[in-house]
Amino acid sequence: MKIGIPQSLLYAYYFPFWKTYFEELGHEVVVTPMTTKGIIDRGVKASVPEICVPIKIYLGHVITLLEEVDYIFVPRFVSIRKGQFFCPKFMGLPDMVRYTFKGIEEKLISPMIKTNSDNIGNTFSDYKFMEKMFGISSQKNIKALEKANEVWLRFREYSKKGYTITEAMKIVLDGYGESSFSTNSDSNSSVTIGLIGYVYNIYDSFISMDILNRLREMGVKVKTFEMLEEDSLEKELQRMNNKTMFWTFSDKLLAAGYSFYNNPEVDGLIHVTAFGCGPDSMLGKLLDMDTVEYNKPFMTVRVDEHTGENHLQTRIEAFIDMLKRRKMNMKRGA
Amino acid sequence: MKVSFPYMGTTVIYKKLLEQLGHDVIMPPIPSQKTINLGVKYSPEFACFPLKVIMGSYMEAIEKGAEVIITSGGHGPCRAGFYEQVHSRILKQEGHNVEFIVFNSMFRDFKNFYKNLMRIKADNSWIKVAKSLMLVYDMMKKLDVLEKEVQVIRAYEIKKGETTRIWENIQRIFDQANNKKQIREAFEKGKELLSKVRKHDVKPQNRLRVGIVGEIYVVMEPSINMKMEELLGSLGVEVERSQYLSQWVDYNVLPDFMNYTHEKEVLKKGEKYLPIEIGGHAKQTLGQIVDFSKRGFDGVVHLMPFGCLPELVSQSIIPRITEDLGIPVLTLSIDEQTGVANNLTRVEAFLDLIRGKHSKKIS
Ligand code: SF4
Repeated sequence: MKIGIPQSLLYAYYFPFWKTYFEELGHEVVVTPMTTKGIIDRGVKASVPEICVPIKIYLGHVITLLEEVDYIFVPRFVSIRKGQFFCPKFMGLPDMVRYTFKGIEEKLISPMIKTNSDNIGNTFSDYKFMEKMFGISSQKNIKALEKANEVWLRFREYSKKGYTITEAMKIVLDGYGESSFSTNSDSNSSVTIGLIGYVYNIYDSFISMDILNRLREMGVKVKTFEMLEEDSLEKELQRMNNKTMFWTFSDKLLAAGYSFYNNPEVDGLIHVTAFGCGPDSMLGKLLDMDTVEYNKPFMTVRVDEHTGENHLQTRIEAFIDMLKRRKMNMKRGA
Repeated sequence: MKVSFPYMGTTVIYKKLLEQLGHDVIMPPIPSQKTINLGVKYSPEFACFPLKVIMGSYMEAIEKGAEVIITSGGHGPCRAGFYEQVHSRILKQEGHNVEFIVFNSMFRDFKNFYKNLMRIKADNSWIKVAKSLMLVYDMMKKLDVLEKEVQVIRAYEIKKGETTRIWENIQRIFDQANNKKQIREAFEKGKELLSKVRKHDVKPQNRLRVGIVGEIYVVMEPSINMKMEELLGSLGVEVERSQYLSQWVDYNVLPDFMNYTHEKEVLKKGEKYLPIEIGGHAKQTLGQIVDFSKRGFDGVVHLMPFGCLPELVSQSIIPRITEDLGIPVLTLSIDEQTGVANNLTRVEAFLDLIRGKHSKKIS
């Protein structure tokens, strides 16, 4: 069977898991290309106007797959941490897809993901229905999940070593050597940025205009939330006790934000947010209000389907220059 | 202590409860353009509209002397208790010294709930607290009964605006009631006043009924939803909301085993379209549309705050319900820029549509 996976939303965080899983079950995995103007346009046409850009893009990817594959994988992410949830749009995603596109119902594979950690492979029951769907034994299913899990955990390890998600995927899925990429660790960069943003924005080069690599090209060392140890994020969340936001990835970003604020190595924070994101408006406001307290510059980059590249480049450059000057002055002052 | 609360719907209820317990209540003013401007100015630009209006309300209440703000935390994955977070941080930053008491579900965090309760309880005996709660609950139920009547009568009143004036009067009468007997009297009085409204005689088959669904704040607070109920009423349409205060209390406060509310049934009806709760009122919205349709309503007005996450999900699914069940739905998204004129045209066009459908149905 051909199983289609949209290269959008949580693709960047879970693709190694999904790909391994379906391939272990003997299926062919088809991925949409990286977001293009065409994909966006299709998505925009299919969506209600006010919905956020990432969801529009996702729908565009789904349409792109529609004709090509036997099944489309649209998981329903509900919760991966006790007491926390996903943004409502993730929870209703399969329904939006199902009721937006006629006749897609039989093609949908939508496990409901409800676990207590990022490791979504550890509750087999979420995938039990696949056994009936594809006529496979529990044994085979469990074995495939275990394999998928293993690959995903390796992928996460590479993130934590400082590789970007794109790089980590190439290492675990395509057999690239670790040395093919210069990670953050071996750059002797002058400035370090904490880059805050959802994986589906940061790693969708159409949305973020590849801000991560742009920064690296300027000789900047970049840290993102997925490069941090889970424990340290967890610790930040504990410190905030009741003051977290209920949305898992928003909370991760919030925690990452504060961990960057507290990390003397980090010189400034950049928050990339897509137009129309509700949770981000809160997240950004909280971090922004604290820029004074922690005495670290904070910049918001709000992107939508029309943002111009030159504009972005100029803003980042100005921000980095400012950080450099600031650092020099601080050194001199000391 | 000088307490206040967010303005939403029939506020006389909250006021009464706090007064009963001996607190000094500062009534937040009815949200006005000034409230909205204040809220917009001090809230994150992309925050949802209710957060902004409530922000403005708080500021006005503080201006009037409020020291403590009592609010509910909500329990959905959306919005939830997080509003307070943003509100209190911003108020502090703006130099306002106010304390928040946030009631989250007692089933989630009893310790905190209890602590809050003790604050509100103050020196009153538990018996007094229980009595006050019962009293206010009774009042809420009775007001909801009357309000439902108001929403029907309004469509047929001969003197435009009469029913609304009476309804305001009724709320004032309830505001004066302080014991069971007085509440009963207020209720009787209210019924009597309403029965006196002179009405056009409209044949049952010519009556139009429209349901209002959506996110609770914009559904319940007329001052920010273009007074939707009054508007529809004045255009000759009977109205029923998806939310009433007493329903909300039954559903959210009563423990599960004694919770036989209509809301549960309604949630089930929407399950085909949205199998799980995704926060806010999205699942209710869909369930209510199905429910209104099954009950023979002619149409539904769906109100959502601009950019409301769960309601955007429901909005995406609604066209399919219309296709399946034939019920027309008009979605209006509401924010500080909501052009009344523009939305008015849309409402009128919508009513033309359902009128046309209705007359086809009966002929
Ligand atoms: S329910 Fe809607 S209005 Fe409410 S917080 Fe969520 S997005 Fe905002």
